[in-house]
Amino acid sequence: MTTFTALLSLMFFPAGITLILSGMLYEWADRKLVARFQNRVGPRWFQPLADTIKLLTKEEIKPQGLNSLLFYGLPVVALTGALTAALYAPILGLAPVYSFPGDLIVTLYLLSLLTMCTGLAGWNGSSRFSLIGATRSLTQLFAYEAPFLLALLGPAMAANSWVIKDVSAYAESHWMVFTQPVGFVIALIGLMGKLELPPFDAPEAETEIVAGALTEYSGRGLALFHIGKSVELVVAVSLVTAFYLGGIGNPLLFLVKTLMIVFLMAMLQAMLTRLRIDQTVGMWWRFGALLALLQILVLVLLKGWLA
Amino acid sequence: MTTDTDLQRAGEILAPFAKGTNNPETNRLDVQIAASDLPNAVSALTDASWGFLSAITGMDLGAEANELEALYHFCEGAAVTTLRVHLPRVDCPEIPSISDKIPVASFFERELGEMLGVKVVGTPDPSRLFLPDDWPAGVYPLRQDFKLEQAASVEPEKTPEPGKVGNKFIIPIGPQHPALKEPGHFEFAVDGEIITGARMRLGYVHRGIEKATEERNWIQNLYLLERICGICSHTHTSAYSQGVEQLAQVEVPQRALAIRELVAGLERIHSHLLWLGISAHEAGFDTLFMYSWRDRETVMNLLEEITGNRVNYSICLLGGVKQDINAEHSASIHKALDYLEERIRYYLHIVTSDTSFLQRTRGIGTMSLEEAKRFGALGPTARASGLKRDVRLDAPYGAYKRYPVSIITDERGDLEARFAVRMKELLVTCFTIRTIVDNMPAGEIATRFPRKIPAGETVSRVEAPRGEVFYYIKSGGGESPVRLKIRTPSLCNWTSVLNKAVGHQLADVPMLIAGMDPCFSCNDRMVTVRRKNDSHTMTWSELREYGIKKYGQGR
Repeated sequence: MTTFTALLSLMFFPAGITLILSGMLYEWADRKLVARFQNRVGPRWFQPLADTIKLLTKEEIKPQGLNSLLFYGLPVVALTGALTAALYAPILGLAPVYSFPGDLIVTLYLLSLLTMCTGLAGWNGSSRFSLIGATRSLTQLFAYEAPFLLALLGPAMAANSWVIKDVSAYAESHWMVFTQPVGFVIALIGLMGKLELPPFDAPEAETEIVAGALTEYSGRGLALFHIGKSVELVVAVSLVTAFYLGGIGNPLLFLVKTLMIVFLMAMLQAMLTRLRIDQTVGMWWRFGALLALLQILVLVLLKGWLA
Repeated sequence: MTTDTDLQRAGEILAPFAKGTNNPETNRLDVQIAASDLPNAVSALTDASWGFLSAITGMDLGAEANELEALYHFCEGAAVTTLRVHLPRVDCPEIPSISDKIPVASFFERELGEMLGVKVVGTPDPSRLFLPDDWPAGVYPLRQDFKLEQAASVEPEKTPEPGKVGNKFIIPIGPQHPALKEPGHFEFAVDGEIITGARMRLGYVHRGIEKATEERNWIQNLYLLERICGICSHTHTSAYSQGVEQLAQVEVPQRALAIRELVAGLERIHSHLLWLGISAHEAGFDTLFMYSWRDRETVMNLLEEITGNRVNYSICLLGGVKQDINAEHSASIHKALDYLEERIRYYLHIVTSDTSFLQRTRGIGTMSLEEAKRFGALGPTARASGLKRDVRLDAPYGAYKRYPVSIITDERGDLEARFAVRMKELLVTCFTIRTIVDNMPAGEIATRFPRKIPAGETVSRVEAPRGEVFYYIKSGGGESPVRLKIRTPSLCNWTSVLNKAVGHQLADVPMLIAGMDPCFSCNDRMVTVRRKNDSHTMTWSELREYGIKKYGQGR
């Protein structure tokens, strides 16, 4: 029976199909909001689904001279990583399905898997655009990863736990957006970096390197990467909401909070100009990482003092 | 200094080399020189900093004269000095290169080589710029005895393997690339993200317009030349009509000239707003792109209301204009300008104060005044480096004497300065348009124009939104021109981009290319491409019949 429930939760609810569909809805919300900020009409609500179906039915072209195993395997690994991460995260305002000591660290690594796969996919390609895109993807990964990690460690330290469930339970009574505002801002911006949204879209800057690391991907592979990315959007937004905006609580309220984060991200996307890769890295290491470290330091000192 | 003293000075400078001089028009000086004297004559002009090289016209004088002629046009203010070099009409007559003194000449020299078969000795890059790779060797489309059949292609030569050329990692941009709205090909050698070298290849949309003008009559050419560019179509028609009117010595009514300047002003607004959007998009600031293109609709609608067309306004006639401006038009112009002025002020504020946008423009691609002069930059690109070069002021044409514009320059020379200069220029343009509308001279809008134009040659210069457009028109006294040379500003500005790109980041390249507001279709005007597997060739009348049939059935 446990195997059955495990499979069920993995394939349909809360991970699997439900997650993918909700990922698409979040993606739609993001696209629609950016479009409205830019004085455009924006897509209809089923557009991401239609895009995915279209991509899945299209021919997948494999360029010559690259490793087939990597070419076909990487999109699957990327999606699997994002879906697995969902098992430990409070998706849609529901308690995580699985939980074990230290699952926060594992989840964060699973979330990075997508970027690593994208990077590898670019390295595997023979196109010069994908090579440059891959270099930029991985460079950017080193830029935002540490500050983002530190930003999520703050709440965990406050809650005295490495378990996502416990941290969100603690967060229900402590709105950490007020106690750790710096961490919240870094988590929010780190999230945009992770998802390669503007202004951090240098790895896929179309006016320079076409589609970056995924230039050579078409059809199924591209669709899987896209699904992976929208799943990651849901997981990461849920995580930030649970940690900083008052835990899980009421699912409906949780949904509103996550949408608020999407709204904030859409606004930033519309307001800012794309950063060059050197500017991105410079910004994260000069300000992001330092501020995150400072916050951790204050936290440690405060905890020691209070104890 | 007046035009006369300028010309006198040029005559004195060139006296040691001159084999003969004459003044075909009051503002022009023609100096015959020998091919071997060319580098020295050009050095003498550049050392005395007399003007800039505006264009090189290559001409085939036909079997009778059995000579080719290369015309080097230098402009200073309203004065135009032309160095005329006669060459024997053989397969590869030799002429020395002047690119070491004037870098921009290398493009003109490449054109001279492939179109007329002149061997330019010492030009840095003699490879093809405009003609396709599989164009047969030894066939020169601008020679008088060129036959369309000669263009039948040979087996394409093996194109070099893209990617590593030597030990360099090359990033190709174009001909099909999201950064380019029109096809051109750039090869950037990169070291990591830093550009170490740049090359360019044009000609992907070459249509053979210069050649085609020789087969159409004076009036047909007006409509052909309008289609050189979709953005500055009015510039081309007004430059052409102005030149032909000079040749025919027809006085154009003042009201017509005022309307021409008015439409040119509206065109400038539409062009600069379009450019603002594209550059913002290249920088990844799509919000500004969407906003500026929305506001551009205002001026597009205005142009449609006045001329009937959104893109090729078709308002210029030989000897006047086609449409008049009435009170209703004036009212809607004022109303539209109220809105546009407010928006343009807002955009000026954005491009000079938005921190995230300035990160991508401030200090990028900085071109000093000396560099701008040396590269032969034109238009806003030059003015953003503090170079006061604007035909509307240097050589006021049409109604620009009556309604002058003030010049906008900036000393900084970086991308930010180019944004600021263009936006401020729009405010000046709005003001000028209002002045014209309120002070329109009364009278006719067109005058009678002869079918045949007396033999002669003239130079017509007009300030397009991108810089000076140069027309050289030669009439043989017949119903169509003998030679028509068009030099568009983009071709002159390429030198600055290719030189300034080196040392910048790959991410800055789209911005740098966009920063000069390139127009590929302007550059490319001269080729008929036929490949072996093309289904068939049509003559002009067949094509016409085909068009009538095809579109007639749809009705």
